Amino acid sequence: MPIIEVKDLSRDYVINEGVFKKKMKVIHAVKNISFSVEKGEVFGLLGQNGAGKTTTIKMLITMLAPTSGTCKVLGYDTFGQERMIRTRINFVFGGEYGLYRRLSARDNLKYFANLYKLPKGTRDNRIDELLKLVDLTDRADTRVETFSKGMTQRVQIARGLINNPEVLFMDEPTIGLDPVGAETLRKTIVDVNKLGTTVLLTTHNMYEADELCNRIAIIKEGEIITLDTPANIKKKLAKKTSFTIEVEGNSANIKDKMQSMEELSGVSITEKDVMTLEDAYLQLVKGSNEK
Amino acid sequence: MNSTSVLLTSMSVQMKQTFARNMFKFTLFVGPFLITVILGEMFKHSTADNFVAYVVLGSGLWNLWNCIAFSSAGDINRERYNNTLSIIFSAPADFRLILLGKILGNTLLALCSFFLSVFFATVFYRHPIIVTNWPLLIMSLLLAILAFIIMSIFIAYLLTLSRKTAIYMNCLEIPVALICGFVFPIENLPQGVQFISWIFPPTWAVRLIRLSVTETTYGLLENFVPLIITSVIFVILATLLYRIIFKQVKVLGTLDMA
Repeated sequence: MPIIEVKDLSRDYVINEGVFKKKMKVIHAVKNISFSVEKGEVFGLLGQNGAGKTTTIKMLITMLAPTSGTCKVLGYDTFGQERMIRTRINFVFGGEYGLYRRLSARDNLKYFANLYKLPKGTRDNRIDELLKLVDLTDRADTRVETFSKGMTQRVQIARGLINNPEVLFMDEPTIGLDPVGAETLRKTIVDVNKLGTTVLLTTHNMYEADELCNRIAIIKEGEIITLDTPANIKKKLAKKTSFTIEVEGNSANIKDKMQSMEELSGVSITEKDVMTLEDAYLQLVKGSNEK
Repeated sequence: MNSTSVLLTSMSVQMKQTFARNMFKFTLFVGPFLITVILGEMFKHSTADNFVAYVVLGSGLWNLWNCIAFSSAGDINRERYNNTLSIIFSAPADFRLILLGKILGNTLLALCSFFLSVFFATVFYRHPIIVTNWPLLIMSLLLAILAFIIMSIFIAYLLTLSRKTAIYMNCLEIPVALICGFVFPIENLPQGVQFISWIFPPTWAVRLIRLSVTETTYGLLENFVPLIITSVIFVILATLLYRIIFKQVKVLGTLDMA
């Protein structure tokens, strides 16, 4: 049974436009999307700003009600059966918000450990473990407001893992992080996934999606335009293939020697995709714009 | 056990967060002085003769209201802007307990402002403090605090549901203090406004407090019964409101600013 099951899911927002003469407008943020995520997968939702990624995540984490369709996590409906889900999942939003900035990292984690009903006996050990995991043991008792963006984001990750969730939802977790911080975070996601946590993440970073995700759904204007493994998405759209040639032994004058096919014995040729996921993504998004 | 833990940690987090805010420190420490001086000067030029009722307790209650209701409600909006409201709402712990913990945290801090008001009033105006019925005063003060907490919960629920409530809350701070009779008796207000006063539990709690510093206990039951009835009505309304907001915030998507 899939751990996440989304079927014909839609979400509309009603907004008011105008200052003096207000006019109601309905925004269709998510339009009839369907997908499922298996246990242990890292599943990516890719899309531009306003594509509907965050709205989808909010519905999955019981924060937002769907307008229509079904949205199930761990077999329970996210609207109406929230209690069955909430202790077993957690989520991380990108950016500097989502923490009590005047409290220390440890105090934040203690508070959320209580809200996630962690037994007192295991709570302190869990907090120490997580602080070590996100490399903040030395700054554990410092106020979050003095932290850099990367450090704040690491506290968010620790908060998201406080209840050892079966499913972790991450909305642009590396947004605003420097390359080193982003790489550390990606490593953490891999480690967490290895321990059995299913991860659903949204990102703009194609390299990140390619590296981390088993499968990817690309969302555009609230609709899924493709859903497959990163390799298959690239393969479907690739028009040419490049080869890497490795030469065993003496490689002197190889350029001249390669001109004659007889000289190629002992040379191994490895096929490599020339198209990156970013190329595939841009082609898909721009392609559907042209239509 | 876990409920107590959620309640206590919410209180503690609220107190730490709130106390770190300069605006709250101003409300807590400078507010009592300013309000006491204003009420003291008003008293000097009025025909009222009960200094304790109108200056000492009046300023104390006004500050208590400022800190409990106004700050508790305002904190909901702050949590919304910091994106923590959606997180605590989506946590497994009961949101009602979290909110109650926050309001209790503010109440504990607010008591400082109450005692500071009493201190300023007695030190600056050197008026003798005459209380004819201490047990009644203590009981009615506790009931007044309870009435403020009930109203704060009600307002906090409304704020959770709607982003716009903060605007109305800012407009309500002073009118509620006047309508509930913190500063002068509600009998001085037009009859139509008095009907509104009767809806709010603090109105009856304030009248009970005044009785405890006057030489009469006439009207004890006439104020105690409406206080209980209005408090129970607000508790019922808050319970019903919570059932609505629990679903509606998810339908309307008002938990964060996105």
